[in-house]
Amino acid sequence: MTELAANLTPHLLNGVSLGLMFALIALGFMLIVGVMEVINLAHGSLFALGAYFAVFIMGLNLGVGIEARYALAFVLAPLGVALVGMLLEVTMRRTYGKDPLYGLLLTFGAALVLEEMIRLAWGSGEKQLAVPPELSGAMLLGGFIYSKYRLYASGAAVSLILLLWLFLEKTPYGAMIKAGAHDSEMVRALGINLTRLRLFVFALGAALAALAGIVLAPIWGVRPHVGVDAVVPAFLIIVLGGIGSFWGAVLAGILVGIVVAVTGAYASEWSLLSMYLLLIALVTWRARGLFGKKTVLEN
Amino acid sequence: MKRRKLLQMLAAGSAFYGPWKVHHAWAQAGQKKPLVIGLTMDASGQFGASGTSERMGALQAIREFNEKGGVLGRPIEALHIDTETTPATGSRVAERMVTRNEVAFLIGGLNSGVANAIGQVAQKYGIVYFNSNSSSPTESGRDCKRVKFVWDGNGTNFAQAIVKNAIKVNGGNWALLTNDYIWGHNTSKATRELVVKNGGRVVDELMVPQGTRDFSTFLLKLQQMKPQVVAAAVGGDDFRAMRQQVLQTKLDRQFAWVNNQQDWEDVYGLGAEAAFGVFGTTWYYRFDLPGVKEFVEKYKKTYPGMQVKNPGNTYYNGYMATRELLRCVEEAGSTNNIAIIKKLEGRKMSARDRMQHHDAWIDPATHQVQQTIYMATYNDKPAEPDDIFKILSQVPPAEIVDPDAPKACKMASYQETPSYEQ
Repeated sequence: MTELAANLTPHLLNGVSLGLMFALIALGFMLIVGVMEVINLAHGSLFALGAYFAVFIMGLNLGVGIEARYALAFVLAPLGVALVGMLLEVTMRRTYGKDPLYGLLLTFGAALVLEEMIRLAWGSGEKQLAVPPELSGAMLLGGFIYSKYRLYASGAAVSLILLLWLFLEKTPYGAMIKAGAHDSEMVRALGINLTRLRLFVFALGAALAALAGIVLAPIWGVRPHVGVDAVVPAFLIIVLGGIGSFWGAVLAGILVGIVVAVTGAYASEWSLLSMYLLLIALVTWRARGLFGKKTVLEN
Repeated sequence: MKRRKLLQMLAAGSAFYGPWKVHHAWAQAGQKKPLVIGLTMDASGQFGASGTSERMGALQAIREFNEKGGVLGRPIEALHIDTETTPATGSRVAERMVTRNEVAFLIGGLNSGVANAIGQVAQKYGIVYFNSNSSSPTESGRDCKRVKFVWDGNGTNFAQAIVKNAIKVNGGNWALLTNDYIWGHNTSKATRELVVKNGGRVVDELMVPQGTRDFSTFLLKLQQMKPQVVAAAVGGDDFRAMRQQVLQTKLDRQFAWVNNQQDWEDVYGLGAEAAFGVFGTTWYYRFDLPGVKEFVEKYKKTYPGMQVKNPGNTYYNGYMATRELLRCVEEAGSTNNIAIIKKLEGRKMSARDRMQHHDAWIDPATHQVQQTIYMATYNDKPAEPDDIFKILSQVPPAEIVDPDAPKACKMASYQETPSYEQ
């Protein structure tokens, strides 16, 4: 029993770290779905674009050290992607209030366009996002060699999750976003500029996708189609967590991370499939996901 | 014949001939019908990068033939459709190319599942298919086809070249890291057999699903297993992600790594250190052999400004396969499939012509090109930034022949293969 626990513990901890990264990927996706009821299939491309913007900024000869360039990339790349997100939102306006399929198709098209634009701008080959030496290398943790960068990435994920939560819960703008998600017509009736609110939410969602892209780039690598690897788990996690639920997405991310990590260790061929099996099992038992609100139909 | 009938026939003839003449540029120019080659190569998915390179190689060979006036007096056209590293797409693309585009031959294949799917379509119609870069032992074994020719070294060839020496140098406790698809399975199977045959032991095998981006679980598990050697049969984007993560954790120094085959595109741009471990390849752009310099220069001239500044093994295979096919068409004086197949079976190719160290040949029993395999590792003294491989040794093809392939390969006879000609 002790031996099993000793064997299992590193995988559970690794699963939590992996799950935090999954949650980070899903945050921006969750925000846009929750507030605007738009399944943004371009989320993965915005994720990739964030990584590419960061690679570009890191490659600039600014006469400053790698740490300063990384910090700059961490701020400027999400801002750049937020602008792209805003542009995308403007193109989406004609789809509001119509069949959700229009929004789905538009964001799918946008994903293809963004991926091809990345190919045109940076080529189809692999890029590397350099990280400061303080974050690279390995460390010994509980007798295991562990990448320092993964610990940093988990820490970054926790910080970003908390910051977003504080923003949504403790600021007036956060309250407006939540109100917009709950009842957009009432928000408009209260004199809040819903058009501007949607623009802001899309920009924030895009910036969060970019941040996830920057954090995960040194682990996953930077390729034009890397976004596809991000959008599928993001979608799965928000469904699992309950659409629109912040902590649902975080918990679902961690749950998926643990399931993938433990399956990877003991039945490795099932590791990727395990997240889909988890989704099937959970949705069968609880169709609205972990923290999804009851619909009228369920009453 | 009555005048009215004659006019009707003329009208019908013009109605057919007019559009036909307009739509066929070659007919307008009064040229012979072009020979269309279908390039079934991945441009996206796990092997998108390598697929792009092999396509560039094939196009270069076609360009060279066209500069000399084409083949059999016919200009050569290339038709490429992305096979997306997906067997179902490969099958659909091949079917479409044969039935709608009337291609004369099919060339391309990185993923063995895709190559096998294309091979099945090719055999159904009798169209000659060159699997240029996929290297599952099954391609020239269980899944061999009369119409299919396998151009790359396979997992067994590479394992034969590496395993014995690796056990001697690093020890007998091995862990296998296997991409969970046909190439991974069969390459690891060959490695396992050779490890056991040479007195070693496989402590465990971890299956890596295709599309894996996070290898932390596998790397933790390897640390728990404590093997002396890790033999990885992981390819494409999965391999690139794995390499980066192994380097981040410095696990490249904890175990001896054997990475069956290393495609150039899978390591290019990651830095010399990313090419850790011992691995196999079939060609390197810095070989000091006749023709290599000119070949590399031509690549740079034809494809200036490419991110991959020097050609690698996948480009080389794409080029060599296409060139040899077109030579055979010329020699046969026909595009008839059986005539071409007969030209290819047992064909000998000199080392000088192929820019390798030993002569190569096409095994008539398996249709696999038997060629020199090179053992390499990362280059600690690179002469230039792209000089990331240090070639450790070269193994003549006769020493690494896959002994099981001829037993497993059951080809259709010539009579059972449909006749095909375009």
